[in-house]
Amino acid sequence: MSTNPYLYTLVWACGAVVFIILASLGLGRLARFVVRLFGGSKIKQSNTSVGFTFAAPWIVGFLIFVVAPMLASLYWSCTNYKIPNPPTWNGLENYTRLILQDKEFRGSLLNTLFLTVVGLPLQIGVALFLAVLLNQKSRGERVYRMSFYLPVILGFNTAVLLCWRLMLTAGTGIINQIIRGLSNAFPPFGYLNRLFIYVTEIINAFFISLNNGNFTFFNKTLAAGFPAANRVPMWIQTPLWSKMSVVILMVWICGTMMLVFLAGLNNIPRELHEAAEVDGAGSWKRFWNISFPLITPYIFYNLIVGMIAALQIFEPIYVLYRDSSTLAPSAYSMVYYLWRATFRFNEIGYGSAISWIIMVIILIITLIQFRLQNRWVQYELY
Amino acid sequence: MKTITHIVGRIVLYVLLTGSSIVMAFPLFWMISTSLKSLDEANASRIVWVPTKILLDAYRFILTDPDFLRSYFNSIFYSVLALAGTLLSIAAVAYAFSRVEWPGRNVVFFLMLSTMMIPAQALIVPQYVFFNKIHWVGTFNPLIIPGYFAGGAAMVFLLRQSMAQIPKEMDESAFMDGASHLQIWWEIVLPLVKAPLATVATFLFVGFWNNLLGPLIYTQTTSMYTLPVYVAQLFNINSQVQPWPTMMAASVLTTVPLMVLFFFAQRYILEGVLITGLKG
Repeated sequence: MSTNPYLYTLVWACGAVVFIILASLGLGRLARFVVRLFGGSKIKQSNTSVGFTFAAPWIVGFLIFVVAPMLASLYWSCTNYKIPNPPTWNGLENYTRLILQDKEFRGSLLNTLFLTVVGLPLQIGVALFLAVLLNQKSRGERVYRMSFYLPVILGFNTAVLLCWRLMLTAGTGIINQIIRGLSNAFPPFGYLNRLFIYVTEIINAFFISLNNGNFTFFNKTLAAGFPAANRVPMWIQTPLWSKMSVVILMVWICGTMMLVFLAGLNNIPRELHEAAEVDGAGSWKRFWNISFPLITPYIFYNLIVGMIAALQIFEPIYVLYRDSSTLAPSAYSMVYYLWRATFRFNEIGYGSAISWIIMVIILIITLIQFRLQNRWVQYELY
Repeated sequence: MKTITHIVGRIVLYVLLTGSSIVMAFPLFWMISTSLKSLDEANASRIVWVPTKILLDAYRFILTDPDFLRSYFNSIFYSVLALAGTLLSIAAVAYAFSRVEWPGRNVVFFLMLSTMMIPAQALIVPQYVFFNKIHWVGTFNPLIIPGYFAGGAAMVFLLRQSMAQIPKEMDESAFMDGASHLQIWWEIVLPLVKAPLATVATFLFVGFWNNLLGPLIYTQTTSMYTLPVYVAQLFNINSQVQPWPTMMAASVLTTVPLMVLFFFAQRYILEGVLITGLKG
């Protein structure tokens, strides 16, 4: 393309606006015509026309950018389509290859499982903790709330993630420096740190072994025993820690969950707490017996949203592990794998199959949400 | 006795709140601090909280790098152009879903809400093929133009909720005076939902500014990189000493618009999270 790219896009943007206006007017006309055909009143004709005119941008966009791509990818997922070669039908081969043979895809599923089982409880726990702190009606609540939410706005920008890469460097990174300093200053902290290393490495070794299909690595890690006194976490250095680093980022970006919990805590009637206080219940007891049961719907909501988000983590993995062929597979999320598998060799057919599996998984999670919501969530206690 | 436990409780509360705030804001502090350090201090094996001597070399270097300036311009161009069209189309569609009664409205609205379940990333593969067919790969078009079709169901939902709260009498009396729907939309309804519009605009802008996957797929030459792509490739695994001050200077400059936006729009952001998150 020889022309100026900005001018080119500006011209196309204007073209798109004209197209949308024409499509809207056309759809409005058509709607009026159909209503008139069925003998609708003048008012109904005009309302239908206006409604479709205003809603047309979405309707047209839905057809062009959602329905058509979904149908096309459903077809392509059953072909071995590689740009620039035309698609040729190969049935369910992509799906069987994905599920039965593709070790990296299985790895991405296991990584998502890890983030759900290990990362989400931590994330939800911290979010709830911060929400409870904010709910104590302190001075300067706004400033605190702002600083807790700030990571959500900044967090997925690669610039900030690059800073995390600097902080998580195992040798000279600030996080390990602080851990080292604290361990030397207070021995109990050192033990805590070693316990944390021990537990993290065993859990990660378990997941890696699960992916390998044999447990030699897990046994080796177990046999290594309790970490030595001078050990620090190897954050973004080994597959044993690559997922844990992503968990740290997830916990850092818990602001949205925190706001949801804050709204939940605000909805609890004040009288309940006052009555319990009169009966002599301490604040700890009041939290577990009053607040906690009443915010279970919010926990559940965050759990579902968090699971879907874990499937889609992309930017952190790109910034932290893109350039390492051993670390990246140990942290692939499903969407990251989708991007990599598709665009490395333009394998459209294979990528389409992955897209569909992701969509089906999200659909299943959402259905489970609707199903279980009523069963183990306390909605009305009062 | 009661007051003493109360005072202790308050002290613990403030210590926890302040401590958590420091932890949450720490990466930001570290980013700024590192950007002002010398290369030695940035890679030092001891903790250097703040640079012993504030150096602006990194900023001088990055601000004279034509690639960085170009990607900055690209990011602004893409975000602003995408924001304008997306915001307008979302406002129009929200109007149709809240202020007009038309047959099929509920069906279409339900359809729109159910698209929120489809992750945008699951559509990138077929969309890429489509844009490749019409020769849009390697231009900014695929990043900008899909949004013009009211991209972002959650945002439409947010705006619809606010528009539905405006009393019906407002537009009915305007009708009596002979106003058209276009006039009512532009002159009556939109001015009344300024705050929710600001919320939507903020979310959209943050989304565009932070977007990595889209630019990664569609912008294929260095001259078209947006900031997230440019900044991410600053880290070079092959170099012995990483130029952290330069990278962090680029990071600070990248996040400045977000921080300014957050500072002025935080009220709108917090409201928006609650509307989309809880009623959705």
